[in-house]
Formats: sequence, C-alpha cells, structure tokens
Amino acid sequence: MTRVKAIRFHEHGGSDVLKLEDITLPDPGPGEARVRNTAIGLNFYDVYERKGLYSIELPATPGTESAGVIEALGEGVMDLEVGDRVAALTGPGNYAEAINVDAGQLVRLPPGIDDRTAAACMTKAMTVEYLLERCFQIRRGQTILFHAAAGGVGLIACQWATTLGARVIGTVSTQAKADLARQNGCDVPVIMAQEDLVERVRQETGGKGVPVVYDSIGKDSFDASLDCLARRGTMVSFGQSSGEPEPFRPLLLAQKGSIYITRPGMWDYAATRGELLASAERVFSMIASGKVKITIGQTFGLDETAAAHDALENRQTVGSTVILP
Amino acid sequence: MATAIRMHAAGGPEVLRVEEVAVGDPGPGEVLIGHSAVGLNFIDTYQRSGLYPMALPATLGMEAAGVVEVLGDGVNGIEVGDRVAYPMTGGAYCTERTIPADKVVKVPDSVDDNTAAAMMLKGMTAEYLLHRTFPVEAGQTILFHAAAGGVGLIACQWAKAMGVTVIGTVSTDAKAELARAHGCDHPIVTSREDIAARVKEITEGKGVPVVYDSIGADTFEASLASLSPRGMMVSFGQSSGPVTSFNPAVLAAGGSLYYTRPGLANYIATREDLELSGKRLFDVVGSGKVSIKVNQTYALTETGQAHRDLEGRKTTGSTVLLP
Repeated sequence: MTRVKAIRFHEHGGSDVLKLEDITLPDPGPGEARVRNTAIGLNFYDVYERKGLYSIELPATPGTESAGVIEALGEGVMDLEVGDRVAALTGPGNYAEAINVDAGQLVRLPPGIDDRTAAACMTKAMTVEYLLERCFQIRRGQTILFHAAAGGVGLIACQWATTLGARVIGTVSTQAKADLARQNGCDVPVIMAQEDLVERVRQETGGKGVPVVYDSIGKDSFDASLDCLARRGTMVSFGQSSGEPEPFRPLLLAQKGSIYITRPGMWDYAATRGELLASAERVFSMIASGKVKITIGQTFGLDETAAAHDALENRQTVGSTVILP
Repeated sequence: MATAIRMHAAGGPEVLRVEEVAVGDPGPGEVLIGHSAVGLNFIDTYQRSGLYPMALPATLGMEAAGVVEVLGDGVNGIEVGDRVAYPMTGGAYCTERTIPADKVVKVPDSVDDNTAAAMMLKGMTAEYLLHRTFPVEAGQTILFHAAAGGVGLIACQWAKAMGVTVIGTVSTDAKAELARAHGCDHPIVTSREDIAARVKEITEGKGVPVVYDSIGADTFEASLASLSPRGMMVSFGQSSGPVTSFNPAVLAAGGSLYYTRPGLANYIATREDLELSGKRLFDVVGSGKVSIKVNQTYALTETGQAHRDLEGRKTTGSTVLLP
C-alpha cells in the first residue's frame, strides 16, 4: 500500500470537477504492475470521460496513457521486471503519481524513446498505426484526406502517411494550424472556414476524389467527407469532436459510389497482446528512425490538470500535451 | 427495322407491346448487335410496373448476348462476327440494337449465348461481391443471405470454388436442399433458426469476416451480430425493404465493423473493370465450376407471359427471351 496524489472527479461536468486528491493505492494484484508515472498523456478521450460520454464508475480518475517505471509486480507477471521503463496504455486512471495496471497493457520502452514522448504519443501514434496501416491500408501514390490535421493524431498521421508515400490533404481551422500541418508533411492544408472542402478535394484529385477519408470531427464534417470520396472509397469515422454524426441512410453509400464506412476503435485493433506489441513496435521504429517526430507543445503540472483540459477543449493546444506529476 | 418490346405506359404485363422500330447505323464508337438471347430480371418487372419510373416509351431489358453486325467509326478491338454480351444497358428487349462498343465484352466459345445472356447481371454481381467488395480467401467462412436466389446460387458455387465455407440463409427446406446442391455448406432455414446464433455455433463463437445481405431490413441486425470484430457487412439489396438510417456508432459497438452498400454500376464503370469482371465470370462458368441453369426460354414476342410467370414465381433458375 502506498499513498499517492491523483486527479479524481466525483461527478461529470466541466473541468472544475477535476480534483487533486490523496488516495491509497493497494499493492498490485495478480497480473498487475505498479507504475510510478513520470509523464502522463492528455487525450480528448479523457475529456469525454470527464463529461460522461463514456460510462465510467464514479469517483473516477481520468487518463488513457502514461509512462514511468515499474516499482512493484503482482503475481504471475512474466515478461516485465521492477525497474523497467514502460508505457501504460488504454487506462483508465493514468492521471496519478502512480497506478496499478494490467501488465498486459504495459509496453517496455526502448532506449531511443524518452518518457515524455511515450506519454505524449503512444495512444495517438498507435491510433495512426492502425488507421493508416490496417483499418485502411494506405498505398504509395494515393492522395488521402485527414481531418483535424493539426491535432495530436493529425500531426502524427501527416508524417506517417508521407512516409508511406501518400499525399495528404488535411483540414485545419486556422492559418497557423495550416502552417503547422504543412511542416508535418500535410501537402494540402485546407482551412475549413475559408474554402469549400469538397471542391478543393476534387480539384486536387483530378475530379476523382480520395480513396479514404479519416474523420474524427463527426457531425460537422460527415456529409462533406462522403462527398470527397472516390468511387468505392472508404470513410473512416474514428471520433466525433463536433458531436455524433446524424444517422445515415445506407442507400446513401450506393449513391455516393458504392462507398464503405467503418467506425473503428483501438480496442479492436489491439485486441491481443500480440497485436498491442506489434503496433507499439511499429510506432517505436517510426519515432526512432526520425520519420515521425512528436511535438510536445505544452506541459502542465498534475495540479494544473483542469487548465490542461480547458486548453484542449478551447483548441489552444499545439501538438501533444503532457502532464508532469 | 427491328422487332422490339416497348411500353407506352407503366402497368401489368399487358403494357408490353411487340413493335417494329427503326435501328439507325451505329454512331462513332458504337456497334450494331443482332441479339440471339436476352436475359430476364426482376428489375425489368419493377421498371414495367412503374416502381422504377422510366422515360416513355421504353424498351426494357438490361442484358443480352448476340453477334456484332456493323461497326461504327473508331471502334477498335472488336470485329464484325464477334460473339458478345453486355450487362446494365437498358433496351435489350429487341432483335437488334446499337450500343457503345465499350459496354460489351466478347464471349468465349466455352459459354453459349443463352447462358451468357442469362448470367451477365447476376454473375458479375457475384464476381464483384466475392472478388472486389470483400475479396474472400480460401479457408474463410462467409454468410450469404438468400443463398437459393439467382445471385445466391451463383455465389455459393463460386465461393466454394474459391475454397470458402458458405453459410447461407434460405426460406424453406426445399431451398435449403437446392442451396446445398450448389455448394452451400450450412443452409440456415430462417423461419425456424436464429441466424446469428447458428453462425456463432458454426464458427465456434468467432463470427464471420463478411456477410453478403440482399434482404435488407429484416436481416440487418442478425447480419451485424454474425460478424467477427473488424468484419464487413455488404448490403447489396433490400428485398424485404430498405435498412433504416443508423448511426456509425452502431459499427463501433459491433466491433469496429465495416459497412458498404455497393451497386454493380460502380464496379463495371471503367472498361478495365468491365473486362476484368467479364473475364472472371466467363472463366469460372467456362471451366464448369459455376453452372448457370437456364430453365425457361420464351420467344421475344411472348415477353408478357415471361413477366407473368416470373412475377407468379413459376420460374426456377434463369430465364431468357429468344428473338
């Protein structure tokens, strides 16, 4: 048993429900490990948890990823040791000085990956890995559309897709974000308030449209995304920062050119320990080789977590955000 | 002059009239074909009844086989005397017609005219579904609804030839036997069996990587429930009515599923795709791996009777009209 500081919320709501509290952490149970966090990643998912979009038992500690050092092991953990530097994935509960986690969700960090980078990017980069390499396999020479190209996932996706030889059209909200996206490999940033997205995509693709759209915006972008697709293209709806898309008529997919739609979640793409490790390995090699660089735009202390949420929700963050316990 | 079956108003089979029509010379890029056999499809009856409105007067018919008689200017790769067939080009109920040369494919000697005319739509549909919408692989187990239907019987044989285990839904025991005789390994009689439960049982709890569903509203939920994580729902028809609108979140809840609503037109829109589809279809039929049963023929002038019999469910397998 040990006492640690953790962020908790006792009810759903705005960032003011996030409280820094002292909690007692029991010894790790069978199959678990205790990780002393050195850096905690901030994700939009955490905001949804806080708001109550995803069911979670209260009181709860938000968080989906962190990095740190194993300080204790429960029974039956075979492939990890005390002192290992690890990333803890797919929380919940990472917003704390230390956490007990299912050892099956821990990935040992190689020397080339520092703790802040790991905490900042593992969930986002593994999301990019499954989106671009498995959910729809990007091929060299393709032109793709990636929404929110200057967001945490977007900046990684732009670099990754470029490495795969694809040309990236990316949507952004401001000129500053357009510049940032461009620096990260986005070939054609489209500022949503200033341009007609569908027209621009048609223009950039010789009228054909793109074979795939990656859309984490949801409601506000859904219709335009379908109109950007080439015949038999795939709509990958992997988030809903503007709200859930309206229900759609399946026949619409026939009318738009026999298109496909999928709504993936990482849990189905890292469903086994083997898949999780393979995905993490792919991420490590992309970062270690310098092909994908992680931009940590801001850091916050654990006691400043509410301010971190506010910044994320108000679109004031750049790149990834890390909380330092 | 050619003989054509035309309609001047939507209605019952009686609106189909035998008329003499002038056929012009083929324009640039066109050929004139003398038909030897014309395929009959359910969509023809929908167009006749007014369910699918047509500009009138109209000549129905979506597929046929025949011989090239005259070439327009600038036609390459096809000669007078070539045996050809085509899908998805309205106006087939006639003795001869002009048609863009890039809409027809050459028919090999291994496939006779009646078979070609009967199978272009259904066979190319089975081709794009199994080879392109979701390319099935040997060793997989798939679910194909309406396995004893026109497309279903072709798909069962074809999937079997590709090394796939086929679970198929049917409405009666007689149809279950028919499907089984065409390669369906596990017919499910939907009036008395729970589709998703049977699929889970057959696949030892895993579910199938793909469901091909032409039934629509009645089977939507069972289809999604039959899929394994990251599986694909291919909705290619709605014989029981259209699937109601749904939120993409349904696909996440089902296990990061994919959904598509394909149509043949989008899979044969380019010359390359049309030829690819035609080649695969002729190869699989020519080699005997897929057999097409043309169980009824009617003279073109008796097309009204053919419609009556089709709508009265008196036909089995495929039907062709003979000019």
